[in-house]
Amino acid sequence: MSTNAIFILTLAITTLILAIMLNLKINKVNNLQRAVDNLKRSLDEMDEQAKLIVRTDMELNRTQEELDKKITGLYALQRISRAISTTLQENMVFKMLGPPYLEDLGFEKAVAFVWNEKERKFILNFSLGYSEDETRAIKSFVDSHTQVYLGLIKKEETVSSLSLENTGITKEEIRNVFKSISFILSPILPKEGNRGFLFVGTDNTDITISAGDEELITILTNQIGQALENARLFENTWRAHQALEKKVEERTQELRRALEEVRIISKRKSDFISAVSHELRTPLTSIKGYASILLTGKLGQLTPEVQERLDKINRHSDELTHLVNNLLDISRIESGKITMRQEVHNLKEIANSVLELLSPQISAKQINTICEIPENCSMAYVDKEQIRRVFINIIGNAIKFTPEGGTISIRSEKTDSMIQVSISDTGCGIPEEAKEAIFEEFYRVDNPINQQVKGTGLGLSLVKNIIQAHAGKIWVESKLGKGSTFIFTIPMPTQ
Amino acid sequence: MSIKAGVGFSTEKDTLRACTEALQIASINLQKDKIDLAIIFTSLDFVYSKALKTVKALLGPTTVLGGSSAAIICENGVFRYGLVIVLMSFLKEIYYNTAYIQDIASKGCLVAGKELAKRLLSDFRGSRRDLGIIFSDGLINEGSALIYGLQEKFGRSFPIVGASVSDNLLFQRTYLYYNETIITDAALGMLLGGRLGFGYGVRHGWNPLGKPHIVTKSKGNVVFEIDGAPAVQLYQDYLGLTVQTLKKELRRISVLYPIGIYISGEEEYLLRNLIAIKDDGAIIFQGDVPIQSQIRLMIGTKESCLDATRQAAEEAKTGLRGSGYNPSLVFIFDSVSRYVLLRNETKKELDIVKETFGKDIPVIGLYTYGEQAPLKTMVYQGQTHFHNQTITILTLGG
Repeated sequence: MSTNAIFILTLAITTLILAIMLNLKINKVNNLQRAVDNLKRSLDEMDEQAKLIVRTDMELNRTQEELDKKITGLYALQRISRAISTTLQENMVFKMLGPPYLEDLGFEKAVAFVWNEKERKFILNFSLGYSEDETRAIKSFVDSHTQVYLGLIKKEETVSSLSLENTGITKEEIRNVFKSISFILSPILPKEGNRGFLFVGTDNTDITISAGDEELITILTNQIGQALENARLFENTWRAHQALEKKVEERTQELRRALEEVRIISKRKSDFISAVSHELRTPLTSIKGYASILLTGKLGQLTPEVQERLDKINRHSDELTHLVNNLLDISRIESGKITMRQEVHNLKEIANSVLELLSPQISAKQINTICEIPENCSMAYVDKEQIRRVFINIIGNAIKFTPEGGTISIRSEKTDSMIQVSISDTGCGIPEEAKEAIFEEFYRVDNPINQQVKGTGLGLSLVKNIIQAHAGKIWVESKLGKGSTFIFTIPMPTQ
Repeated sequence: MSIKAGVGFSTEKDTLRACTEALQIASINLQKDKIDLAIIFTSLDFVYSKALKTVKALLGPTTVLGGSSAAIICENGVFRYGLVIVLMSFLKEIYYNTAYIQDIASKGCLVAGKELAKRLLSDFRGSRRDLGIIFSDGLINEGSALIYGLQEKFGRSFPIVGASVSDNLLFQRTYLYYNETIITDAALGMLLGGRLGFGYGVRHGWNPLGKPHIVTKSKGNVVFEIDGAPAVQLYQDYLGLTVQTLKKELRRISVLYPIGIYISGEEEYLLRNLIAIKDDGAIIFQGDVPIQSQIRLMIGTKESCLDATRQAAEEAKTGLRGSGYNPSLVFIFDSVSRYVLLRNETKKELDIVKETFGKDIPVIGLYTYGEQAPLKTMVYQGQTHFHNQTITILTLGG
């Protein structure tokens, strides 16, 4: 082969190799281009994803912010509610709306007005976040738009920079006067009493009002309304209570005065009776003495007529002495001149001794007696002689009013710290209207027996005085024609 | 220890009582008679000259620096109402100087920065300077330019840590305190040097999302075009919102989805919050965004936020340990964005700081509309930058 041929061959081979290499390079470039394209596409896709992420994140953030705001607002509301609900003074209710609470609700400015029906104007109750000049401007704006605000209150609707329309004032007017970009105006509606409204606002452009905010503020004003209502009720109750206490005090004073008068009168009466009785007793003693001497016949023989008259004088003197003695006792007990010499005594013994004392009269009328005083309530802390008189008087009365063959029973039982003694008869009974009067002095029931049998009308009065001096009570239970039961209580010995 | 610090706070409503209470607690905690410097942060409720006059009257000749904040931070918690004060006592090997500058708007941030640096340096007696702490009005637009101004005098790599003070999240007016004076449109600072050590950590916890984009037209803190389209297009695309809605929701969007500038070698992107959207579609950011920057849309969660806090605290602690000192005091300059994002979990950040430094460490902090701290990478040679959304933790030891 010639050199040329070799050269040509070499050239051809080189060209071929180069062509192959070129082809390979082109392929590589194409691959790279494809890879770059892929990469670019991936990057673009990634960027699209990034956009999606940012938008989602923004949405999430917004939701989170809303949620945070709501939670903070709710917490604030809860704290305010607690503070307000424990306030019972009307003027303190608004003072509870301090800056920290309000700021947590998202506002830094607030005013509250309450409508005064009597003066026909709005009264400023509370202002926060405003200078004095600003507050004055707000007050005069409210004064010049009274009807608008009254209308809002009447509608019972919360309005805000979001929802305010067609009310007679524009958002811009409110924004200018109340210096707030976002605001909520909510009526305060206590069930009774003066209504008003609360305005809260902020000039922070980042804060936007939502329907949720309106709800929160409405809840707040409801709470305020409730608190005002409570405060008013409390005030009324308190005033009523004060008036009642005053009245009770006045009545007590009146009663005290009346009681004092009664006491004075009663003392005068006792003193009078005591004095009169003493004055009566001396001549009585003489009369009785002389009558007795005359009756002995030592001063001369008496004719039967004289004897009879003298007997009468003697008997009547005895009765009169008895009456005077009873009167004296009553007045002494009433005036406290006699003190009860209380000791422990056996009631059964006292009752039996009295029954024995009165046995002639009992036997004469063939009256049955029953004495049921059990062991466990027989001991009493009493003045023996005085209680004896009680038994004598009551049983004496019973004998007097019990018809022949009747029954008198004496019973006792325990009640609380007292012994209750009841003495029953089967007599004619006491009319209803006389049940209390029989214990008064000189009172005598109008009945045939009383017309026949003499009595002073002092016995039961004396009994009542004695029982009361023992810190006990006495009363009577009776039905006409079916007998009477006198019941009294006397103290038991202390353990 | 050549630095001693005592922190006191009060949430009393009455100014006089609050000042007295906070100072009393601080003095008890300091346990020193000599007080060289006081730094005070207050909620807006205490922005009255009465408060400062009270503090100054109680402290005597001690210089008082400070500013307003959305909430105050101290070792006892985060308080929306209140004031916190730290009293600092330096041994003689520590040198310091304080100064302030006003009328930034008319002077321009760059000039103001230079002037403040000059004033801080003037009384420094040629001693060695180690650290600058700066507080500036939170509403000045070109926070970065202020730093550039300072750097022109201090040197590019001189560490400056600082906070742009805040108000009650309304972005209306922020306040700085210098002795008895309340100043706005201003910046103030202190220069420290001598036998002291410091450590700082600056982290945000936001993560990049989506494609990288290139800033094709910008000037200072105004970005006109991204990828050749009006800057606002980026937000329209990602969020699927109209310009109008974007403008309305700007503050929320700015907190949740700032842009991040890629910085080679740094673990985290440098964040920029949005201040405003202009009619031509340009976006004004809080801090500059250089042309040709590679930027990403950023997204953050509470968890990533708290992770960042932990990292920042660890970095600060490690940094101080490197200088051979123990921590005497911790400053927290915490972005209001985090306050908004963390909401009722704000105290968790404080808990993390206390976990890292020990529960007895004095802590004082405020919420910021911008933070200043150096970046760490070699490329930037520790140059201080203007940050957004970070928790910047500075610890001093002596």
